[in-house]
Amino acid sequence: MSLVIRDITKRFGGLVAVDGVNLEVQRGEIFSVIGPNGAGKTSLFNVLTGVYRPDCGTITWEGRRISRLAPESIARRGVARTFQNIRLFGAMTVFENVLVAQHSHASYSYLDAMFRTRRFHRQEHRIARKVMDLLDYFGFAEKAEELARNLPYGDQRRLEIARALALEPRLLLLDEPAAGMNPKETDVLRDFIRTIRDDFSLTILLIEHHMNMVMSLSDRVAVLDYGRKIAEGQPAEIRRNPAVIEAYLGASAIGAVTTDA
Amino acid sequence: MNRASVQSFLYPLLTLASVGLLWIFPDTTILLVPVLGILFAGTLIRLHRWSRWSSMAFVLLIGIPVAGLENSFLFELFIQIGIYAALALGLNIVVGMAGLLDLGYAAFFAIGAYTWAIFGSPQANQFIEGGHFPLPGWPYFYLFMALAVITAALVGVLIGLPALRLRGDYLAIVTLGLGEVVRVLANNLDHPVNITNGPKGISPVERPPVDWILAITDRLGLTLQTNHAVALFFYGLVLVVMLAIVLINRRLDRSRFGRAWVAIREDEIAARSMGIPLLRTKVLAFATGAAFSGVMGAIFSAKQLFVSPESFTLLQSITILAMVILGGMGSIQGALLGAAAVTLLNIEVLKSLSEGLNHLRQTGFVLDLGFIEYNFANLSSQLEPAKYERMIFGLIMVLMMIFRPAGLIPETRHKLELEARRKGKAS
Repeated sequence: MSLVIRDITKRFGGLVAVDGVNLEVQRGEIFSVIGPNGAGKTSLFNVLTGVYRPDCGTITWEGRRISRLAPESIARRGVARTFQNIRLFGAMTVFENVLVAQHSHASYSYLDAMFRTRRFHRQEHRIARKVMDLLDYFGFAEKAEELARNLPYGDQRRLEIARALALEPRLLLLDEPAAGMNPKETDVLRDFIRTIRDDFSLTILLIEHHMNMVMSLSDRVAVLDYGRKIAEGQPAEIRRNPAVIEAYLGASAIGAVTTDA
Repeated sequence: MNRASVQSFLYPLLTLASVGLLWIFPDTTILLVPVLGILFAGTLIRLHRWSRWSSMAFVLLIGIPVAGLENSFLFELFIQIGIYAALALGLNIVVGMAGLLDLGYAAFFAIGAYTWAIFGSPQANQFIEGGHFPLPGWPYFYLFMALAVITAALVGVLIGLPALRLRGDYLAIVTLGLGEVVRVLANNLDHPVNITNGPKGISPVERPPVDWILAITDRLGLTLQTNHAVALFFYGLVLVVMLAIVLINRRLDRSRFGRAWVAIREDEIAARSMGIPLLRTKVLAFATGAAFSGVMGAIFSAKQLFVSPESFTLLQSITILAMVILGGMGSIQGALLGAAAVTLLNIEVLKSLSEGLNHLRQTGFVLDLGFIEYNFANLSSQLEPAKYERMIFGLIMVLMMIFRPAGLIPETRHKLELEARRKGKAS
């Protein structure tokens, strides 16, 4: 087991955002978390990446406990993420946005930077090159000097993924990467996610509302509702699961959907 | 010829013209404004290297010193600008780049100033036996400049560690409080052990000797008065330290630390999720800003010969913050321009305006435009622009926030460097 989530609970006052969730994700898997709005998916991501501290439960990644670590420490263990509402560094260029994620891959000191030592030049050159390669991979090379905030929406979404990959993660958390995309763009994104999984040998945890994408992309799917996991399994199983249909469409819809399927 | 070539050709001529004007009328201090204006323009427009650097070197190494020896107030003015420029650059790292609103920045300036003032005056005899003090200016002043950097940075870390766990308004309030704590300490540490001499302040503070400047100028066949040599010395010292600070600032800006500061300012959560250690990065910004301020504090105390808590009030912190905001948050040239503009406005422009009005009043000048006639002798003696400093200042800030909220020279991210990197990749 690569990522193991045990009994994770997160409360905000009286609201239980994540309620005793258990998940196990295998290396190399594309694992989706779905659920209605407010089901606790993003809260789960925030607990996973250290933005929130869980009230109880543990998370282990590659055999080491990462729950209750600071976000930066979790990032350094190879866990990268994108955000539901884009969080780029707007006043920085595309190049710099991605370069920031290489921060922990350079080890030169403050004094190295001040005196421009060989160590500084060597490492800066190395990380800049890695970033340029990554920008080429994403087709951003021509836009490298543009400010992130001036990019069109779709590019901003992809830049977030590029930035996350510059962390050189082994686990990538994508929070609604297809939000605001039309069906055609969604299809392109789906293929792209599969490609980066293979090219960067990633394990991917995905939150998404586009059901077609989730069902055709995921190896396994977990469903959250009111913070609890109500189902888990292969996409085909999830599609037929009455509890899932109820959560999404309400109890009265069960008959309609099952006959339809 | 392309545009850059034309500009490169015209720029040195303009520089010469402005410096020439200052040389012909050295007593007209206000002529420093066009000189500095052209100096700044040189950092902004496209110029060939030789044109930019030779012109700037000419202004700073020959133009201003020659005029300054005629009118030492020019030196005084430039030294003030230089000190404030260094402070603005330091605060620019904290507020402009890292986005941490610090309202107690003058505290670090105070720490630098007192570091040298206490030991470079008889003051230290009050609590260290043996009458070793004042320490002689050579070599101790230079040693204490370094010590002021270290002390200020250390205090920055100590204050930063608890304070920087807070964000936004809370941080602003806490830094405001801590800034006042330093001033109040300076004000009250005259008992039980007299360390700072309280509100009376410390004087006289030793200056580093300037005989070597006199020796050099003698050999060059110039006879310099000692006070001119001192002014020249501080001009040179401030210039060197300021340029060093600009260089360090630029280098840090274009390193992983500078990028981490800006990333944290832009989005703290995203920055952390990309592996940037939050507290360490913020404390680093705080300590760097403090260090810049500390070294100028030491120079300030030697230049003034006198240090008292009066110089390190909240108003001082706010003035420096205003320079950063006016110039453009996060921009190095902006901080320099902000410092120059505010200092000149405070101690030169408004004062000359007042003097001009006074002169008109006293001579009873009559303004006659045909339809309106006004005798300046009737002008109320209350009307003195120098007294309206804060009001004019506030007005400028309000107008800036409405029309140019990003400052006079907004932050730009570096493009040239990227080109260089790309070339590096191709080769």
